[in-house]
Amino acid sequence: MKTLSPAKKWNKYFTAGLVMTGAAVFLGLLGLFWTPYSTTAMSAAERFAAPSWRHLFGTDNFGRDIFSRVMQGMGTTIVISTLVVLFSGAAGILLGALTGYFGGVLDEAVMRVTDAVNGFPSILLALVFISILGNGRQNLILSLGIVFVPSYVRIVRGEYLRLRDADYIKRARLMGVGRFRILFVHILPNILPVFGVSVMIGLNNAILAESGMSYLGIGVQAPDASLGNMLSDAQGYLQAAPWYALAPGMVIVWIVLGFSLFSEGIRRRVE
Amino acid sequence: MIRIEDLSVAFDGPEVVKNVSLEIRDGEILGVVGESGCGKSVTALTLMGLVAESARVTSGRIYFDDTLLLEAGRPRDKALYRRFQGDEMSMVFQEPMTSLNPTQRAGKQVDEVLRLHTRLDAAERRKKVLETFEAVGLKDAETVYASYPHQLSGGMRQRVMIAMAVILHPRLLVADEPTTALDVTVQNQIVSLLQKINRQQNNAMLFITHDLNLARRLCQRIAVMKDGCVVEQGETEQIFRHPEQDYTRRLLEAVPSRMKRRKSPYVPAEEQALSDPVVQVRDLSVYYQDGGNSLFGKKRRHCVVKDVNFEIYPGESLGLVGESGCGKTTLSRAVLGINRDIEGQVLHSTLRPQMIFQDPYSSLNPARTVGWQLQEPLRAQGATAVGGAMTRADMEAAACDMLRRVGMDERYFYRRPAQLSGGQRQRVSIAQALITHPGFIIADEPVSALDVTIQAQIMELMQRLRREMKLSFLFISHDINVVYQMCDRIMVMKEGRIIETGETEEIFDSPKEEYTKELLASARNNVQ
Amino acid sequence: MRYFIKKSITLIMTLFLVSAAAFLAFQIIPGDVVTSILGTEATPEREEQLREELGFNDPPAVRYFNWIADILRGDLGVSYRYSKNMNEMMPVSELIGDKLPVTLWLAALSLVLITAVSVPLGVLWARSKSHFLDALLGVTTQAAMAVPAFFLGILVTYIFGIVLKFFAPGGYVSYKEDFRGFLGYLMFPALSVAIPKIAMTARFLRNSLLTEMNADYVRTAYGKGCTGRRVVYGHVLRNAMIPVITFLGMIVAEIVAGSIVIEQVFGLPGIGRLLISSVSTRDLPVVEILILYITFVVIFVYFLIDILYRAIDPRISEK
Repeated sequence: MKTLSPAKKWNKYFTAGLVMTGAAVFLGLLGLFWTPYSTTAMSAAERFAAPSWRHLFGTDNFGRDIFSRVMQGMGTTIVISTLVVLFSGAAGILLGALTGYFGGVLDEAVMRVTDAVNGFPSILLALVFISILGNGRQNLILSLGIVFVPSYVRIVRGEYLRLRDADYIKRARLMGVGRFRILFVHILPNILPVFGVSVMIGLNNAILAESGMSYLGIGVQAPDASLGNMLSDAQGYLQAAPWYALAPGMVIVWIVLGFSLFSEGIRRRVE
Repeated sequence: MIRIEDLSVAFDGPEVVKNVSLEIRDGEILGVVGESGCGKSVTALTLMGLVAESARVTSGRIYFDDTLLLEAGRPRDKALYRRFQGDEMSMVFQEPMTSLNPTQRAGKQVDEVLRLHTRLDAAERRKKVLETFEAVGLKDAETVYASYPHQLSGGMRQRVMIAMAVILHPRLLVADEPTTALDVTVQNQIVSLLQKINRQQNNAMLFITHDLNLARRLCQRIAVMKDGCVVEQGETEQIFRHPEQDYTRRLLEAVPSRMKRRKSPYVPAEEQALSDPVVQVRDLSVYYQDGGNSLFGKKRRHCVVKDVNFEIYPGESLGLVGESGCGKTTLSRAVLGINRDIEGQVLHSTLRPQMIFQDPYSSLNPARTVGWQLQEPLRAQGATAVGGAMTRADMEAAACDMLRRVGMDERYFYRRPAQLSGGQRQRVSIAQALITHPGFIIADEPVSALDVTIQAQIMELMQRLRREMKLSFLFISHDINVVYQMCDRIMVMKEGRIIETGETEEIFDSPKEEYTKELLASARNNVQ
Repeated sequence: MRYFIKKSITLIMTLFLVSAAAFLAFQIIPGDVVTSILGTEATPEREEQLREELGFNDPPAVRYFNWIADILRGDLGVSYRYSKNMNEMMPVSELIGDKLPVTLWLAALSLVLITAVSVPLGVLWARSKSHFLDALLGVTTQAAMAVPAFFLGILVTYIFGIVLKFFAPGGYVSYKEDFRGFLGYLMFPALSVAIPKIAMTARFLRNSLLTEMNADYVRTAYGKGCTGRRVVYGHVLRNAMIPVITFLGMIVAEIVAGSIVIEQVFGLPGIGRLLISSVSTRDLPVVEILILYITFVVIFVYFLIDILYRAIDPRISEK
């Protein structure tokens, strides 16, 4: 491998992104197992407590600790989004590789479908799938996963289409290398940088979509905490407790910004 | 008229132009020759005030007559430059396609020069542009005026670029490889045009090229550059006949030329005739489908290659020459069995003919190491072999052996293509093609993307391997001189047909077809 | 001309495909609509009667073509959930009626805001030589891209509505009563949809401009003696806009999606809220029609963008 100069390896984007993402992932995953306060315990005495050392982000309309709920919500969001990206990324590579390399009827069909799906707002499509499949976490992951497949297919297909006619692939064919070996051993390593960046972007889109769905009341359901449904609850109390809305909202911004800085940093490292 | 004194230019790193001093006199053509990366383009761009902002002039100055255009340590005076650019001095670039704005009509782009430097009204400007178009040999000037660059051919685009450069009769014309991207016959036309302009308008020209034959034909004086320095300059004939510097001598020797002794055929003709041909092509026609896009376009079947007959004997190298688009590549693909829509017969006596491509940068898989790539043909072969696959150690040994044969060693085994130079990559490509001992190789412009000195090395390597491994070549090239060096027989192709075939010497000495003579014209003026 | 015919045919075909897909998708939904409509009033007779009424006893293909034929005649079907009164079912067309313009205006306003702000911003950014401005815009746009539209909506509500009192949250003005008041209220949701997209588009345009500035023809233009300003506005901008237009086309769908979510935040009576409530109550006729509507709008905008694209890049129309 090429050795990277230190300036390139630890560019500002990469460092900032790594710190932000690391903190979010750590707190989020921790939040799935342990939180400072119970995420469901209500306390009438402590309704709408402003942020303090006792309750870092204050408390909500039921007197629940917002920091604890945000931690749990973060974890839920991150896990769901990761699963969504894994599902859609894997499907995207498979379909994109086959359609891009072989072309033909399958390609034509898949492209028509992805065109139609891409033209359709992703969150609405996920809504439609949810209304078909019904509510619930697995269905949420599956719906979002299906919705994001076309964007990966498009990118992977484009790369395969480009590399299909590269001289070194032509030569591999002449050598008699098998088709699937060309697809996954010769071409695949060359598209990983591009694919990696799109996975990062996809992760962000998944986080935004998941929190959007939960905000609309269609994703993660109460009493489980998610960043989206907390925001939706908090909106009614903007006047009385602005921190209630601010906390989950800013956390979403934190995660998304962290990931995009991180991917920008990686992009700069690769270049 | 132009004096460049002690010019040094650096980008972020070390200087790419070092203490260059050049003079250009009124009406003369000064050639600057050198291999890629020698700093010839940067010198020209600095003179024109077009070098990137990140470039720093670290020493020297440039005078246009008595006007000081540029001095080290002072920021570039853009307003001063703008008075000269397009009016007193102008430039023609290598790539006419990308050098023209793709979304503006050709006429308007030339018109802009007049708008910037004259006070003519719209009608006068239009008249002048059309006149200039005709003067540079664009026949249908009105149509060209209204065309976008993509609607014009390469030669026409370059004429538009030249029209843009000469419309105001500048005293200096800088031409940076103006013919490199063009076909041979078009090249000749453009060179004649530039010569004509030079004589008629009596302007000075700075002609930058890597092609020494061309420089000799065109220039009165020549400067040879290497690694940012001018190593030698003087009268053209003086330099070509009695080069003083080592580097110049090496450069001149590397240029493939008619006058050099050919190192071909190693296999005597009688012996060839006795054995069966490696490849036999009988009445081959190749078709391809076009406009087969979904429901609307009608499919049309074009004949790209028509009625081709030839055979290649063991150890023989057959040259295939012709301009781009004449069907050379299609023919080679059909011989390899990639194009399926064919009529006629292709018979091979070898198992898997291999191919070497032009671009060393896309011939190797950037994600894999050299060693891995060298073993891949063996692995592929092993998968279908009857007697079982080679062992891992055997394959590694074979790969190392092949690396040595192409003049590299085991150190390169674990390197990736990005860490190799163009010449090294081409060596690895050759090694990869030969590792399965295919016996027959199609080489599609294998040295065209390389600098002359590297080109000479690769050609020598291919000749050596041909002898050692009894290889047969189908050698495709647009460079008639390279073909002369490499091939025993030559086929000339035009518009899908083979119009002439013969022994190399025969073709060169007494070409029958008009087209062949035209192709050879570029090879006439030779270096030695 | 041929191009227009071709495009229109593609448009119609896509609509057919989407309608078929939507129709099919809702065939495989678990749960019986009839029982859920009737709820506790369900008796076998009533169920059978309703089935007949809704045409559930026909085979799917027949029902699909009946449905399409009805739509073409302007009959969009009836809602399963809402009813006009005890005896009459609510036609979908009436349900959607005055909601559609709200969403369309919101999306249009957002698109206008995005183009109007991001293009000058991108040019300014690409041309600026100040490191400070460059870094400032870099950080701001990066951050703006990370804010989800609905949270931005909440922030806008809080800052402009509650703190600054520029508008009354929830005080929607119908476009039928006071069009200027309607647009004035719509400005804030449109802003929430637009800000992240403005950041994206400006970044994209800046990168496109910087890439384009390295093109060979830029050198040619300088070689003629053009000033930097002339090079940017006369040559580079048009070429740099080509990928930006593609990009704008790509985010049209996102703008529509953003508008639908943002309706929820600002309490706008658009089709977004109707869609979400219909999805959660499985009011299928409404959902199907809304999907068709949205698809049509998005495809139509693509169509317009395609025309713009052709106008700006002469290389396209040749093929």
